[in-house]
Amino acid sequence: MQVYLPIAELSVNLFFLVGIGGAVGFLSGLFGVGGGFLLTPLLIFSGVPAPVAVASVTGQVVAASTSGALAHYRRGAVDLHLALYLVLSGVLGAFGGVATFALLRDAGQLDLVISVGFLVLLGSVGVLMLIESTRAILKQRKGIVVRERLPNQHNWIHGLPMRVRFKKSRLYISVLPVLIIGLFIGFVGSLLGVGGGFIMVPALVYLLRVPGNVVIGTSLAQVVAMMAATTILHAVQSQSVDILLAFCLMVGGTAGAQFGASAGKYLRGEQLRGLLALLVLAVAIRFGLSLVLAPANVFSMAVTGVVQ
Amino acid sequence: MSRLLLLLAALVLAVAPARAERLVSQVSNETIEITSSFSGERMNFFGTIIPDAGSEDKFVTGPFHVVVVVLGPTQNRVARQMSNVFGVWLNTDQVEFSNFPSYFHVLSSGRLTDITDITTLTTNLILPESHTLPASTTDWWKSAIFGRELVRLMTEQGLFGVQENGVNFPADNFYSARLTLPSNAPPGPYIALTYVFKNGEIIARKSEGFAVRKIGFERFLALSAVQQPFLYGLVCVILALFTGWLGGVLFKR
Repeated sequence: MQVYLPIAELSVNLFFLVGIGGAVGFLSGLFGVGGGFLLTPLLIFSGVPAPVAVASVTGQVVAASTSGALAHYRRGAVDLHLALYLVLSGVLGAFGGVATFALLRDAGQLDLVISVGFLVLLGSVGVLMLIESTRAILKQRKGIVVRERLPNQHNWIHGLPMRVRFKKSRLYISVLPVLIIGLFIGFVGSLLGVGGGFIMVPALVYLLRVPGNVVIGTSLAQVVAMMAATTILHAVQSQSVDILLAFCLMVGGTAGAQFGASAGKYLRGEQLRGLLALLVLAVAIRFGLSLVLAPANVFSMAVTGVVQ
Repeated sequence: MSRLLLLLAALVLAVAPARAERLVSQVSNETIEITSSFSGERMNFFGTIIPDAGSEDKFVTGPFHVVVVVLGPTQNRVARQMSNVFGVWLNTDQVEFSNFPSYFHVLSSGRLTDITDITTLTTNLILPESHTLPASTTDWWKSAIFGRELVRLMTEQGLFGVQENGVNFPADNFYSARLTLPSNAPPGPYIALTYVFKNGEIIARKSEGFAVRKIGFERFLALSAVQQPFLYGLVCVILALFTGWLGGVLFKR
């Protein structure tokens, strides 16, 4: 069944949209990430214009993260105080990201920046996660007990000024690194159409030493609020949010996420992280290849203005 | 109204040169409506060549050739070229074309080069390449190459095309042509220009307009995205929050 997307101005098979929404939703439920880093490339690959894909996936990420964030909130696993700081700086970063997005699109370099951005981010995060999870799995095999958090292990970040107490995370740290992380993720997330959960979680764990029980919930809450703001920014700035496209993806995504979450219970944390690392790396390699391999077509086109 | 018509007829009779043939033509659809299940639309163009009102001939004598040019709304478009810079492929060069049609199809009753000469085809904008006018002064050779590539890209998307057997003559002076407008045809005003050729000369021409537009819910969405962008974004976010919440409730996570 074909459905006409009013903003993308093309008709796509409805089952295809709900299907990829569901498949990515399954993975996002399994690994606890938004799934934007998979959906945006998939949509671009299937013919949706890059600006529409990025802006509409932003809306989908809100839906995908909401049910998870609510579930964690009910369990009391969200540090709202920390999330607030991250969201405020994140929205500021999103302003910059959306403006940069428009500039790059007009200059014809948006595709390049999206490819390089995905390659660098996914590549580095994927390698780090793979190393960490492999180590954890190997230690497990040898019978060494791994603790999620090393309480007294501080790094240089904890010595910065302007300290604030985050009760739920049992942290007393400077707000500067928190704001910088928020700013960076807001900028990158709005530019690439990803929630940034896959950067946020490692940053909270390894840089700020946020305890494991509130990391996912706080990250999800931050993603919901920041992506909601980014959706509105994209709608106002570039008018490229396709609500019908986003809705089809949401329906598939939220359903898929539930199955993914229940499937995730059968896997161990470090196994999950290892698999996610492989997935992230695969997408990074795909983008890397598109940069260095000779394109089938060296010419491309774009609409720069409508005269009627 | 009838007085106006009379006046018009008188004017036409007084001014029109003693041409032998006239074209009476029709387009099957005046508006093409894009609904949620829009997946393209088939259109018919047909008409007859009859003796002109002022002419003394009772019959028209062929052979005739008919060329129908369908033009979509114009846009500014850029063609970009990638090249390899230190091992990385990136866009390095571009040419912008102004007033470039977003849709362009030519239907004809024979090979265009057999129907008439290249000058007539170019001056009447019948060839796709004749629409590639660079927005700024670029060197001629470069804009010709980029223009040709742009036409090729548009053809790959089904937005440009030349069908040299697209017009049929069921009778000597009656023609019909069929065109399938693709689902990615951009909305806006369209023009169908019909030319009648005889011995390589244009002996009659006519233009008809039709519109491709979104209707109903699709139109509402597209309009609100442009006119009320903030509200549109807000509704999108609320929809997302609601869907996410509902998903969580339904599946009892």
